[in-house]
Amino acid sequence: MSVNSSYERFFDVPIGPQHPALKEPLFLKLVVEGEHVVAADVDVSYTHRGVEKAMQERNYIQNIYLAERICGICNVAHTLCYCQNVEGLYDVEVPSRALYIRVLVEELARIHSHLLWLGVAAHEIGFDTLFMYVWRDRERVMDLIEEITGNRVTSAINTIGGVRRDIRPETFDRCLKAMDYVEERTKYYKKVCKTDPTIAARCAGVGILKPNDAVRLCAVGPTLRASNVKYDVRADDPYAVHDEVPFNVVVYDTNDAFGRILVRIDEIFESINMVRYCVKHMPTGPVRVRLRLNPPAGEHVSRVEAPRGELIHYVKSNGSEKPERYKVRTPTFENLPALCEMLTSKGNYVVNIADVPVVFASIDPCLSCTSRVAVLDSEKETVWIGRLEGLKRLKR
Amino acid sequence: MREEDVVLKLKEAFGDKVSDFKTAPRRIFFYTPPEHYKEVVKFLVEKLGFVHLQAMTSIDLGKDLEVMPHLGRGLTVSVRTRVPKDKPVVDSIVDVIPSASFHEREVHDMLGVEFKGNLNLKRILLPEDWPEGVHPLRRESQITFPKPIRGGEK
Repeated sequence: MSVNSSYERFFDVPIGPQHPALKEPLFLKLVVEGEHVVAADVDVSYTHRGVEKAMQERNYIQNIYLAERICGICNVAHTLCYCQNVEGLYDVEVPSRALYIRVLVEELARIHSHLLWLGVAAHEIGFDTLFMYVWRDRERVMDLIEEITGNRVTSAINTIGGVRRDIRPETFDRCLKAMDYVEERTKYYKKVCKTDPTIAARCAGVGILKPNDAVRLCAVGPTLRASNVKYDVRADDPYAVHDEVPFNVVVYDTNDAFGRILVRIDEIFESINMVRYCVKHMPTGPVRVRLRLNPPAGEHVSRVEAPRGELIHYVKSNGSEKPERYKVRTPTFENLPALCEMLTSKGNYVVNIADVPVVFASIDPCLSCTSRVAVLDSEKETVWIGRLEGLKRLKR
Repeated sequence: MREEDVVLKLKEAFGDKVSDFKTAPRRIFFYTPPEHYKEVVKFLVEKLGFVHLQAMTSIDLGKDLEVMPHLGRGLTVSVRTRVPKDKPVVDSIVDVIPSASFHEREVHDMLGVEFKGNLNLKRILLPEDWPEGVHPLRRESQITFPKPIRGGEK
């Protein structure tokens, strides 16, 4: 039966880029039929900063700190990936103590990132008490990162040929104590997430991504592992000392936002055990080898399991002090096709407009990572990117 | 599967259509001309099981533009192909790997490579009012540095 009426059946609902429900500047174009989202398109260009072009204008040492600023939360993953890449050009053996420190800091960063995400997810589903508790406990990890690296957020620990700071022996005790505290608290949060009816109502069955779709659309990280696909760069393509440090790849078969919460919580436990292992088995020796400034010509691909998923950097060197091409592909970019799939109602699966923030948060989006690359001078049709000297002049 | 096996299978299937093999632990790079690019990618995805597209790198080499998808999970197979800069057209691999669409849009934005068969090549990273035909990662895109702002100056 067809109904002749004056209203349209499908509506476009624009959400973002500035929207109270979104934490990051994403533009979602949703096509809705009543309350149900039937098609989704994303625009991620609002935080485009020209990092790849800027990297071609800086030398390899300056680029460590630029790579760090691609993303504040996964800064350790970015510098690790960058340093491995440049070390791959030199073909140099990094001291094993440095590799252990890298893994230790990387796993601490993963714990704090997952706790941060758990807080944000709790906030998105309207459970602000949990959000505040989680973020309070995250501070313990942040303090530890500050003690080890000297900085709370941009840790600047990795450098080409090793790490910049050694760990003092007394830090290890505090590290273990903090891990005990975080483990106990995370066990409690897992219990809360599994028993609380609000979380189940807002997350279970929301944002479904079937395993074959996840593989087909090349999802990565916890988004993929919550769809019961066992894939983790630390296990499949081990870097640093991940072939020595034991851990389990966490998978859940719920395929939904609830599974993504549980995957991340369980990964916190795995990371805590990895930190403990690193502390106990920390080898002695130097933490850095010195290398000359210009790496030899060549190319290298480096991969790291960032908290949000697989991160890949590519470098091409021509033997000069600056890279000829530097390419960064971040996990959120890889998860965008899967996000569009999750936001599309099909058959019995319906996405309500109210679920959109939860689905979006469930991939742990980081849009500053995603849109890296340039500011434009439209009259001259040229691209400009700020440089240190320019900033210094501006400061005066 | 080890690196040598993949190289062997590629050489068996394509003969001299694939060349310039470079291997490192868990990394393979090789070259294929643009007319065979799509069938090589299809072979890797469907016959050898490299279903995961990690990234798509694009480089301005001066006269040519290089497009290089990185495929695989444990192993990373990088298929490089080159197209001339004055006619940068290459087959799209969207019907082999659906998520390649986003990567191809990025390469299209940054270097202006046309992907034949990708019907959705709209802007992804550049703003909507970015002028047509300006591609920031090409060599001729010069960087101009911002001028200092001082009071009283015009």
